[in-house]
Amino acid sequence: MKPSPPSRVDLLQGTLDLLVLRTLLFGPAHGHAIAKHIQAVSEELLQIETGSLYPALHRLEAQGWIDATWEKSEKGKRAKYYRLTSPGRKHLVAERMKWETFARAMGLVLKPTGEEA
Amino acid sequence: MPGFLRKLGWLTTRSRREAELREALEFHLEEEIEKGKTAGLTEAQARAAARRELGNPGLIAEDTRSAWSWPLLTLVETIFGDVRYGARMLARNTKVTVLTVLALALGIGVNASVFTAYKALWLMPLDARDPHEMVNIALTRDSGPTNSFSYPDYEAYRDSLDSFSGLIASRAMNARLSSAGGPPDLEASLVGSGLGRLGLISPRISGEERARIEIVTENYFEVLGVAPVRGRSFESLSRAELQAQPSVLISENYWQRRFGGDPEIIGKTIRLNNVAVTVIGVTPHDFRGADFGAPPFWAPISIDPLFNRDDQWLNQRENQRYRLHGRLAHGVSMAQAQAEMNPIANQLRALHDPESISAEPASALVLPGSPLLPQPNNGMEVVIALIMFAAALVLAVACANVGSLQLARARSRQHELSTRLSLGASRLRVVRQLLTESVLVGLLAGVSALFLTWAFLQELSAQFAGVFPLWTGSPAFDVTPDFEIVGYVVAVSLFAGILAGLTPAMESSRSALAAIVRSNASSRRSRRLQDVLVAAQVSLSLILLIVAGMLIRTSFNEIKMPTGYDTLNVISLDFRFAEPSDYDADAKLAVAQELRTRLAALPGVSAMSSARPPGERRFLTAAMPIGEAAAVGNPVQSILAYTRVQENYFETIGVPLVLGRTFQQQGNSAVILSESAATELWPNQNPIGRSLRLGPTDEQHHRRSELVAEGPALQVVGVVRDKRGMALDGGGSREIYLALAGDQVSSRPILIRTQAEPKQVIDILGPVLTSIDPTISATANTLEERLRASPLFGVSMLFGAFASAIGTCALLLALMGIYGTVSYIVVLRTREIGIRRAIGAQRGDVIGLILRESTRPILIGLILGMPLSAGGVFLATRLLFGLSFVDIVSTAAVTVLFLSIALLASYFPARRAMGIDPLVALRHEG
Repeated sequence: MKPSPPSRVDLLQGTLDLLVLRTLLFGPAHGHAIAKHIQAVSEELLQIETGSLYPALHRLEAQGWIDATWEKSEKGKRAKYYRLTSPGRKHLVAERMKWETFARAMGLVLKPTGEEA
Repeated sequence: MPGFLRKLGWLTTRSRREAELREALEFHLEEEIEKGKTAGLTEAQARAAARRELGNPGLIAEDTRSAWSWPLLTLVETIFGDVRYGARMLARNTKVTVLTVLALALGIGVNASVFTAYKALWLMPLDARDPHEMVNIALTRDSGPTNSFSYPDYEAYRDSLDSFSGLIASRAMNARLSSAGGPPDLEASLVGSGLGRLGLISPRISGEERARIEIVTENYFEVLGVAPVRGRSFESLSRAELQAQPSVLISENYWQRRFGGDPEIIGKTIRLNNVAVTVIGVTPHDFRGADFGAPPFWAPISIDPLFNRDDQWLNQRENQRYRLHGRLAHGVSMAQAQAEMNPIANQLRALHDPESISAEPASALVLPGSPLLPQPNNGMEVVIALIMFAAALVLAVACANVGSLQLARARSRQHELSTRLSLGASRLRVVRQLLTESVLVGLLAGVSALFLTWAFLQELSAQFAGVFPLWTGSPAFDVTPDFEIVGYVVAVSLFAGILAGLTPAMESSRSALAAIVRSNASSRRSRRLQDVLVAAQVSLSLILLIVAGMLIRTSFNEIKMPTGYDTLNVISLDFRFAEPSDYDADAKLAVAQELRTRLAALPGVSAMSSARPPGERRFLTAAMPIGEAAAVGNPVQSILAYTRVQENYFETIGVPLVLGRTFQQQGNSAVILSESAATELWPNQNPIGRSLRLGPTDEQHHRRSELVAEGPALQVVGVVRDKRGMALDGGGSREIYLALAGDQVSSRPILIRTQAEPKQVIDILGPVLTSIDPTISATANTLEERLRASPLFGVSMLFGAFASAIGTCALLLALMGIYGTVSYIVVLRTREIGIRRAIGAQRGDVIGLILRESTRPILIGLILGMPLSAGGVFLATRLLFGLSFVDIVSTAAVTVLFLSIALLASYFPARRAMGIDPLVALRHEG
């Protein structure tokens, strides 16, 4: 990677699951919509690789955190819609807490209060 | 576990799920195209961008699969894929595959055979239910281990030991069989068959039919956990009942072969050693109990006194004839049993004759159950290790063979490999694929080897069993592969597959990598590696061939070595009185004299002498010169073998007299020495007329410490040529001959020198004996046949046979490997040959180059192999007695053979390559 201004950020290992779960909190969505949503919300900083998204969706499904059903999309095509299950909701809460703790810890280390002055 | 079930559900509807994934990705793609078009791209541009964004759908599918699967399952699946692919590759190259599988199967088969034979013979368990619980019981003294016990001792152990849930005693004995009905077992048919021709069994020429009986304690079958297939066994009868009506069991084998499976066998009464016994049951086919084979009959120990006409037979503490085996009680170890046995052994020791060996300090020995006598440190371990090593070397040759072939093949597969590498397979993945193929080949070879070995050993043991006379029982070797053997073969196959495949796989994946960047530098490397493998094969098989050749020549020499006496025209006639107690000494002598008179009158008999035949177990005594010579020389006593002979002994068996004369009829104080004995007693002096004293000459075995030359003075009257001794090292030629007293004639076999064909004389001996006394049982064979039955001869034959087998395998593998690899390499160089021709190389130059390069690894292998073989030969001569040293002839023959095979293997493909138009050759893929 060239050291150019961050047009995109590589996802940290394991964060994709969290992002997907969080996105589904708004309601059922298909894979493409999830990817677009994350990109849009992150101001295009996070680029979701299709190659990681679909295995991740299946992984979450295998864990029982999300459910999938085939439904007609807005354009009338068959698409696979994912929705959050209640264990998924719990998992999201737990993961989010973890992430926030982690982020806070990182912040504390990278920007100690003494440095701010 | 819902997660588990969900995954399982996914796996069961896998193909539908995968179709769904494809559909989802398709949908994703269309959405993406839609988005691209909205952004103003053309349909084609949008599609291309979307595809680019999507990446490799195959990879996504694979990742998704692993999301649903377990990591181990994924690994198994990829291995499965590799195996499927490997199998396809192997099927495509049928010829090469068959060749490699054959080569490896040969190497694995040799190892499997050796291991199976080792298990079936050396580790032969007792034939029992839960055989691992069965143990051998023995005592070990300074003089070595013994497993012979008397019945009173057996009872003491049986009644006082808690370590065993059952203790049994048994002994084998040869009995006379009569009143059996049906056609008798004709031993004559045996003479023509394999081992019979070798003279391992002396054929009966007169007397009653024989049958071997295993005499066992009444609890024998109960402790071994085997029930008769018909009738009942001894446990169901009390001791009193058994003695009142003596009963025996018959083995299924003997029942079928001797009695034709007579359905009336139960309840039939026959006579064994003239004791009427009733058959009460039939033991299972091939059931051998604590012995090597199934005996014709099993008799309860309570009737052993009847067989021996001795009421006190079972009460004598010195009558130590029974072998003891026990079944360990649940949870008791062999060491615990041994510890419990020790104090009892000590108590029993005190009850034995204080002069006898049984009174010496002894400690108990509890060993894994086996029909073998416990004989630690008798050198067998070394021989077994040596044999296993030789088998391992054959496998190494096979691996090098297959390795070089694989490498050659991998080079021709370079296209495929580099394609796979450029498609993104890691080098590890390619190596794994190639290794999977070799492991597949290894396992394929292992399975073939397993079945071939089984069939081969089955046939061999059937042949072996078939050459034994019926009456001695049927040896039963279990060569059926069990869990351990299958495990061993699979392990060896995996190892061989990996060994044969690892280097070629590493090497060819490396060169395939290089091929991608269009560099050819590493092809030279891989060719060098191939040369190394060929050289390794050559040198390893050279070692095997030279050592095997040496063994073969040695055993051949052993067999051909002159014995120092005439073996072909001398018959040994051994006769025994059926019931020795029915005859007094005079009656015996009368029979013997009558026999001698009648024999002397037979046509074709030129001389006759009563003596033990040469090569029979001999007794040793001490000898010490006395008189004036003793003062001069060093008065050290020598140990000599002694034989009592009549005056015409030397003439009868053809041993020339060197000095002096033979015995006079009455000369009891006269002795005759063999040349080497004379040289040892009186070096560089004439021994005739000198005197010596001997140790005990009572024809009993004595301990070395008892051999003291304290006998009366004897005078040397003659010296005869040495006979070759019967010790394994060919030594033991120092002999002394004593005169045989006239009244001892009845206790000796008669040696008969014939003018006619000995076979004809043997044929008329039977009727002569029968006419004198029909109950006398007699055997007759020539000294040549007796010689062949000697352990020395047997060991030589066995070594010769094994060495031939190993040598043949090594030779076959080496030739196959050299031919296959060398010709393959030359074919691969077709393109290069085309280039050389195109730029103007002469035909002769190119052929010369190819031949030179093809023979180089062979030469290197030979040069490396020579000193290694010399080392091997040196090692073998140190470990085994009587080996003759390397012979130049066989070494030279092997060298020439290897070189000519390499020349042939390279010449034909090279010539074919020369015949091709250079332009066509250039396009040849290689």
